[in-house]
Amino acid sequence: MQPPSPPADDRSEMPHEVQTAGGLRPGVSAEVARRTGVPEAHVYGTSSFFHLLADPDTKVRVCTGLSCQLAGSHELLAQAQASGLPAKGCSCLAACDAPPAVLRDRRVLTEVTPADVEAAAGDWRRLVAAHAPDEASERRWRGHVGPERSEEQPLAMDLLAEPDFTGAAFAQAGAWGVERLVEELKASGLQGRGGAGFPAHIKWNAVSNEAETTRYVVLNADEGEPGTFKDREVLLRRPDLVVEGLAIAAQAIGAQDIYLYLRGEFELPWRTIEAAIATFQGNGHGTDLRFHLHAGHGAYICGEETALLEALEGKRGMPRLKPPFPTQVGLWGKPTLIHNVETIACVPAIVRHGGAWFRDLGRTEPGTKLYCISGHVVRPGTYELPLGVTLDELVAAAGGYVGELKAFSPGGASSGFLPAEQRDLPLDYGNLAKAGSMLGSAGLVVLNQDANLRDAALEQLRFFSAESCGQCAPCRIGTRFLEEAVERRKRQGVGPEALDQVAEIAWQMNEGSICGLGQAAPLPLTSALQYFPEDFAEDAAR
Amino acid sequence: MTQTTPESTGTAPAPQGTLFLDGEAHAFQPGETILEVARRAGKTIPTLCHDPRLEPAGACRTCLVEIEGMRRLMPSCAMPATEGARVTLESARIDRHRKSLLGLYLTDHPEAETVAARRRPNLLLDMAERYEAPTDWPKMAPLRASRSGDTNPYIDFDAAACILCARCTRYCDEVESVSAISLAERAAQTTIATADSRSLLDTTCEMCGGCIDTCPTGAMAEKRPITLGAKHEQELTKVRTTCNFCGVGCQLDLNIDPEADAGRGRIVKVTSPPVGTTTNDGNLCVKGRFAYEFVHHNERLTEPLVRDEQGQLVPATWEEALARIAEGFGRVKERHGADSLAFVSSSRCTVEENYLVQKIARASMGTNNVHQCAAT
Repeated sequence: MQPPSPPADDRSEMPHEVQTAGGLRPGVSAEVARRTGVPEAHVYGTSSFFHLLADPDTKVRVCTGLSCQLAGSHELLAQAQASGLPAKGCSCLAACDAPPAVLRDRRVLTEVTPADVEAAAGDWRRLVAAHAPDEASERRWRGHVGPERSEEQPLAMDLLAEPDFTGAAFAQAGAWGVERLVEELKASGLQGRGGAGFPAHIKWNAVSNEAETTRYVVLNADEGEPGTFKDREVLLRRPDLVVEGLAIAAQAIGAQDIYLYLRGEFELPWRTIEAAIATFQGNGHGTDLRFHLHAGHGAYICGEETALLEALEGKRGMPRLKPPFPTQVGLWGKPTLIHNVETIACVPAIVRHGGAWFRDLGRTEPGTKLYCISGHVVRPGTYELPLGVTLDELVAAAGGYVGELKAFSPGGASSGFLPAEQRDLPLDYGNLAKAGSMLGSAGLVVLNQDANLRDAALEQLRFFSAESCGQCAPCRIGTRFLEEAVERRKRQGVGPEALDQVAEIAWQMNEGSICGLGQAAPLPLTSALQYFPEDFAEDAAR
Repeated sequence: MTQTTPESTGTAPAPQGTLFLDGEAHAFQPGETILEVARRAGKTIPTLCHDPRLEPAGACRTCLVEIEGMRRLMPSCAMPATEGARVTLESARIDRHRKSLLGLYLTDHPEAETVAARRRPNLLLDMAERYEAPTDWPKMAPLRASRSGDTNPYIDFDAAACILCARCTRYCDEVESVSAISLAERAAQTTIATADSRSLLDTTCEMCGGCIDTCPTGAMAEKRPITLGAKHEQELTKVRTTCNFCGVGCQLDLNIDPEADAGRGRIVKVTSPPVGTTTNDGNLCVKGRFAYEFVHHNERLTEPLVRDEQGQLVPATWEEALARIAEGFGRVKERHGADSLAFVSSSRCTVEENYLVQKIARASMGTNNVHQCAAT
């Protein structure tokens, strides 16, 4: 007999119960333990892992991501705290295109100004972004997207187009069946857009061929890689693509339950996707499928697929050992197809136009890609361009550079920094990997001549050491060690010996860490040291 | 014991496989991990988070090995042995990995003198010495919270010495099913906590002390030896004995300070025999691990006492005492009949002792009124 799935001891609702109870205050663990049957220590241990649950009294969180920092978020945070707001810094809020971003409770406010903070007069409920036009709040968080679709430039996702709930791709995929679908995916060359670039068709095929017939589809919408906000844009503008892509996936692999894990700060994208599911099924498509929305509670690491599965099961978001991979042992131990928002959003176009069509959209690698660009550019935003464009082409779409290019981070904090001389590299998975970096989530941050790379690297190290799940020593201790080493170096009178252990510890973190967070975390520092040693000199800007 | 043959149960014997450890062929049974095969073959693979009683965690990263065809170093504790796998246990890469990993651990761990105050073995420091890990990397003050207000009498947690291997929490979950403690917080603040950081007395904790037994660094330690300033475990003499609190027969090690009490020796604490060596597999309960103070208690009876004509208890020989009992029982039986007597044996009795109690009741006293206090 197969065990019931979700299992009888399903605790996936537990974190939500803690949120409903007002967060982790004394007594809440006991109350939620009584209600859910989850051991009290586990309620406490899990809730204390997630910042939004662990610290319910901090109502204002100012993003300290690199792009927000360039826009003055540190000063804004100091001002907020001085004004009496219950404020702390936080990791990237996926709003790098409209900095500085501030999280008020679970709502992201963009382009918050000192005047906005002043107007709140210490009352977090009164904190609003005065720039926001007075229209539907869902529209407020939409950033710049482009380009327009044209004859010369067909697009797979086309963020400017109206949502399409005809279900045509879903019907077409149903008519094809899983084998043809996997063939088309293979022909499309679609690589996972979450960061790893793993060929999508291999996962679909693997899950389909598992002996276990209870299978799940999981959407990874825990977008948190600093510099990345494309999934937010897809969820806000084209939730139809996500819902239809998920339905196609579930139908293909024989799954009935689809779990959508949205980061807790995605209050607005939650609404658009919820409405899109209702519209899609309201039109009579995939009515036998069950969509389950789950909110994250503030932990970057849950964007790692196995940490996400743990969090979805109501546990601490600590990555699992791989192998086994989620396609074999996934959610509640069942074969699970897990994809990033953008990957799933490419599926309807592949079904409609065929795999070959999608492949031809790319330049050096298959397909178009949503590039997020922020930092020192005129019009930060999300741009759907052929995979393999150069930085200059991307920045041209974003209105040009502000100042003179000094360095860029091609794929989120995890990709480190590259110098201006590498501006002609095709921005794709293969070429960036060869350059010792990665495309990752394609969250590009541009730094101009005013930036100091020691300080930029330090910001990224702070991020990683705050977001390490704490499970394995190389990452837990290594991220903190590197952060403290750079801080020592910044101090007056401390010489280069402060960085003596960096190379060896970076090697250890890459070799020894369980997951990609720890493996990639040294890269901002090692790449900054490699390309910009002068920024680490004694007299560099402090 | 009956032997079941594959024919009698209808299942084929599981096929054994062969893998290669540093080039040598070794047979394995299905379900074994690389670590298990290697240890059976007498190979040394260091581990900190491994406890054979627990599901592998692969978290401490000390047991990483190279497996042909896999780019990354893999945790041998969690990797199943597979047919034909070629595993490298010793290489320059693995050596470098161990050194830098252990060096990193040391930056986040107290100095040897400080951890010695825990009076428990510290596998991390031993391992760092064995593999010549760098000791001169800058130290960082631990950010992990302890539970300083925990007034429970037995279990002390010093977060500074903790390496987050989570053996204690996994033991509490997987072996005891008690779940009194959990990993809490995250990043450098990750620690072992109770709900709301309460005292263990106010949780589901049963004070079995298994967390102490499994802890590789002494972060979890016996409280009394610390507060009483006892000697370090290494200086104590271990005496294997059978727990006499109930009939299960758990083996435990009395840790004796031979010089204490004017050379008569004194039990300082009780520890578990190594996992896998005794029937209780290192598991003990609160009584076995912590209730040893009666041994040296000044009110403990060490000889038989009988009442004199004034009703005062005075020392007697065993013969006198047993004769007094027989005489008293006989008087009651004569006056009120055998069924006016009842016998209740202690839960500390073994099966054999219980047998003897019922034999006294039935054969010499003639009553079936016999019970055992652990029966319900």
